[in-house]
Amino acid sequence: MVNENLVKDVVKEPYKYGFVTDIETEKIAKGLNEDIIKLISQKKEEPKYLLDFRLKAFKKWQKMKEPDWAGLGYKQIDYQDIIYYSAPKQKEKISSLDEVDPKLLETFDKLGIPLTEQKKLTNVAVDAVFDSVSIATTFREELAEHGVIFCSISEAVKNHSDLIEKYLGTVVPASDNYFAALNSAVFSDGSFVYIPKGVTCPMDLSSYFRINSGDSGQFERTLIIAEESSSVSYLEGCTAPMFDTNTLHAAVVELIALDDASIKYSTVQNWYAGDEEGIGGIFNFVTKRGKCLGKRSKISWSQVETGSAITWKYPSCLLLGEESVGEFYSVALTNNLQQADTGTKMIHIGPKTKSTIVSKGISAGNSINSYRGLVKMGTKAKGSRNYSQCDSMLIGDQASANTFPYIKSQQPNSEIEHEASTCRISEDQLFYLQSRGIEFEEAVSMMVSGFCRDVFNQLPMEFAAEADKLLALKLEGSVG
Amino acid sequence: MKIIEKIKTNKSIDNQTEIQKICLDKLQSTPLPNLKSEQWRLSNKSKLSDFLDYSVNEKDPKFDTPFPKTSQSTIRLVIGENCQINLIKENFAIKQLSEDQLVKYIKEQISCFDQNENWSDLLNLSLNCAKNTLGLKISGSEIPPIEIFSHASSNTLNAKTLVICLEKDCDIDLLQVNLGKDNSSLSQSTFFFLEENSSLNHGVVSYGENKSNLLNSLNVIQQKNSEYNLGSLHYKFSYARFEIRIKQSEGNAKTNIKGMQISKKDEQISTYTKIDFNGPNGFLDQINKSLADDKSHAIFEGSIIVPKIAQKTNASQLSRNLLLSNLTQIDTKPQLEIIADDVKCKHGATISQLNEEELFYMRTRGITLTEASKLQLSSYFQEIISFIPVSKDRWDLLDILLNEN
Amino acid sequence: MQSKMKESDPILEVENLYASTDNLPILKGVSLTVYPGEIHAIMGRNGCGKSTLSKIIAGHPSYNITNGDIKFLGENINSLEPEERAQSGIFLGFQYPIEIPGVSNLEFLRVSTNARRKFLNKEELDTFDFEELVKEKLEIVKMDHAFLSRSVNQGFSGGEKKRNEILQMALLEPKIAILDETDSGLDIDALRIVASGIKKISNAQTGIILITHYQRLLDEIEPHYVHVMSDGQIIKTGESDLALELEKKGYEWTDNFIKEN
Repeated sequence: MVNENLVKDVVKEPYKYGFVTDIETEKIAKGLNEDIIKLISQKKEEPKYLLDFRLKAFKKWQKMKEPDWAGLGYKQIDYQDIIYYSAPKQKEKISSLDEVDPKLLETFDKLGIPLTEQKKLTNVAVDAVFDSVSIATTFREELAEHGVIFCSISEAVKNHSDLIEKYLGTVVPASDNYFAALNSAVFSDGSFVYIPKGVTCPMDLSSYFRINSGDSGQFERTLIIAEESSSVSYLEGCTAPMFDTNTLHAAVVELIALDDASIKYSTVQNWYAGDEEGIGGIFNFVTKRGKCLGKRSKISWSQVETGSAITWKYPSCLLLGEESVGEFYSVALTNNLQQADTGTKMIHIGPKTKSTIVSKGISAGNSINSYRGLVKMGTKAKGSRNYSQCDSMLIGDQASANTFPYIKSQQPNSEIEHEASTCRISEDQLFYLQSRGIEFEEAVSMMVSGFCRDVFNQLPMEFAAEADKLLALKLEGSVG
Repeated sequence: MKIIEKIKTNKSIDNQTEIQKICLDKLQSTPLPNLKSEQWRLSNKSKLSDFLDYSVNEKDPKFDTPFPKTSQSTIRLVIGENCQINLIKENFAIKQLSEDQLVKYIKEQISCFDQNENWSDLLNLSLNCAKNTLGLKISGSEIPPIEIFSHASSNTLNAKTLVICLEKDCDIDLLQVNLGKDNSSLSQSTFFFLEENSSLNHGVVSYGENKSNLLNSLNVIQQKNSEYNLGSLHYKFSYARFEIRIKQSEGNAKTNIKGMQISKKDEQISTYTKIDFNGPNGFLDQINKSLADDKSHAIFEGSIIVPKIAQKTNASQLSRNLLLSNLTQIDTKPQLEIIADDVKCKHGATISQLNEEELFYMRTRGITLTEASKLQLSSYFQEIISFIPVSKDRWDLLDILLNEN
Repeated sequence: MQSKMKESDPILEVENLYASTDNLPILKGVSLTVYPGEIHAIMGRNGCGKSTLSKIIAGHPSYNITNGDIKFLGENINSLEPEERAQSGIFLGFQYPIEIPGVSNLEFLRVSTNARRKFLNKEELDTFDFEELVKEKLEIVKMDHAFLSRSVNQGFSGGEKKRNEILQMALLEPKIAILDETDSGLDIDALRIVASGIKKISNAQTGIILITHYQRLLDEIEPHYVHVMSDGQIIKTGESDLALELEKKGYEWTDNFIKEN
């Protein structure tokens, strides 16, 4: 038998992003009501349509019930005990990075995301978000030369109001679900990307989300628009300090791809997961959805989910355009008392649309790891195809792995294929590797990363290496 | 009239048995299943209410079994015709369960009922009377094959219950035939107890007629080293719901299920299965096939539950669906819930139409499209039909199906 | 000898054929005539359209003829169903024979043989007589009787699948056989068996089109004509020495040819 203790040791690696930045912040009072929403909107100097959007969403939210269908157990969230706006205090208008509080720059340095001119990553433009606000965005001028807009969503509201008004809430309507409604009411910041017609974005774009305050929720909103024949690869990273309270993260991401456009959205999610007893950690309830509006458009989600106490996340694709393509590649690792309920929805509406789902779940400790997905072929989705593969790996006899694929078809001229399997690291495989002189832990991590290979291959280079390391760290000592 | 009222005011149902009282009591708190729940959300609401719409007055129509009995050795029983059997032979014994035994077996089942999941059984047992219940205890070896018929009569909601206990080391072939009539509803609940080392080859053939409805539930408890094989076929019902619940109570048992459902016109046919592994070394091989045409709706929901105690479970579940028309809808949801780590579980689902490349290949060899489709369908059906015991020797189910499809 | 062949009427005439799939043009004006007794070879790179040509002649539903005609024994067959073409004597040997799980090979062979026999006004064979016939034909491809009881092509090795194709050809006795890369995936022994099978089945009344990449099949069955296809067209036609030249010089040589043209 696989030695339990060794398994546990592997998973025990402390969370290395758990530090808190000591910085003076501006926080508004706890609680949620119309006045708070007006205050957020006022602080961000928003136009009236946006305030209306927020208030309408809030009204809807008040009428909605918190979902319990995922069968996850968690402590009731007190929505009046959350701070909905928290920002590090700094000068009103920052004209260059030199004016950013050095403590903030240092924080991102420590997280491996240097922002300053001298140290910034050379091939990735970064939008750094600290609690409720965007701190800095690198490479803006270079991107502007290509007509690419990459900025915080607050800035976009000011400078590209027409685009925001046209697209915000068109993929994820405020009434979509409980957490999307909440986000629509109180979202503070996030990233905005616009790729003009015919442009291939010259570098990867990346947002890095950092939750610092223990008592504020994070409600960021991302909107990416790829015009005809454009393409972009976007990366998202997240970390948070260790607190013994649960912090709510309810983001909304909307992607829109027009004719022949392609958007690749990659996430490495490493929010604080809570300790071994399940104290603390982030509640990660996000709504991510892309709309393949144009012909031959393509939206590809890839994600590595390792953090958060609870994750509910179903990055989805609405395949409207003829011959549009949706993809979902996911690795979700849960340990200790983590719960992850993740998957995707592929809604085939247009003809000859294609989707691929590859999901790898690894559950260790007492965690629960579920794949939940929907594949639907509408009546007009003639000649469409879906292929799904969902594999689970179980480590230890307390971990649980569930697979709930919903499959629905109304179109005879379409094909859906779903496969799922469960495995564990076999002793024979381990022995084989060990007999070739490979250390036990390395053997385990090799097998886990082999298990995830199909997904890692989809990640941008920098992310793939990081994801591999992250899994190895998370699993250290969890297999024996 | 509400179903509860119908039952209470009906004189032909003797509201006396203990079982009936318990179930009616439970049914009163859930007079209808929760239509928002996973088990019922896809169920056609108006068809379900049609099901309940018929009177529960128990007429006693004469029943002519539609299929010839060709082999003398086969034992044929018709539920509802006060069938009595007490066969004690050298090698085997088939005995009627006594009232007390019957109550004991069913009560044991009811104790783990879920109001919503077992709603069909609650309805069945509330409606039922002694006359329409058949309870058997079977032991021994070289037992002749058994056929058991349940039928509905026109404009009536009929309920039939079958309880069978297979004693240790016993091995039988048993075919259940559920027949619908014009404008009728049949509620058939079956309870099997497979003792250690016993083996049951079970066939279920449910065949409806114009506007007939069926709620067919099957509850199986398998003790260790038992083997349960099920081959089933459901077709020609306006509304049919087949629920299979299997519990390997101590693990170490084998279950093979091969099911086929065919829906046409505006029919809705659904299969719900739940396989619970309650011990180590369990084995499951399940395939459910559907063929849906016209405006019909085919549903499959299967769940496999593997708790921590069920180490070394080996389970596989496959849902294959043929969708033949633009107006058809198919929903399928195979599910795995696993807590044990040393298990092999897989499931799969496909929805498609007949394979075009295969059709083309046959056509290039001069075989007509109709014939090529038939060959494909026949191989699609064959795997299931050949798994249905007893029937295959005497009715050519495959021919019937092919001629109708 | 060849002029003598041409005295009779052609079996197959492909005239200026244009075809596409999903609005993508694949064939861009192919013309080809086959007389009784002739063996034609069509060569060319992957994607040149040679497999498509064979599928279109057999009537694959995924391709649309946008221009031109296919005539078989003088009759236009553009709108015939695949099974009608097969019954009238057109045989396509598949590059990748399709596996059909659950359908018994014997039953499949019998149904198709009878469909062809019915067309020829021959008596249809019952299971017993058919087994006799198959036994005889199995000899040609040196196949074991056991293959008949398995599902069509399922679990067959590459060589077994190709031999099963030739067995079908032997049973159907076509007027014209188009063999799409029948040599691919065969070891040398299997190649010899397949080639000798083809030779045994063909005669002065039948036509054969061999679609291939390589010379090695043509070493076994010498073609009267060799056509080189590129980008949906036949760009060069010659006699058997053209294949040898192609083998020696490679397909780059034909690229030059297009440029010169």
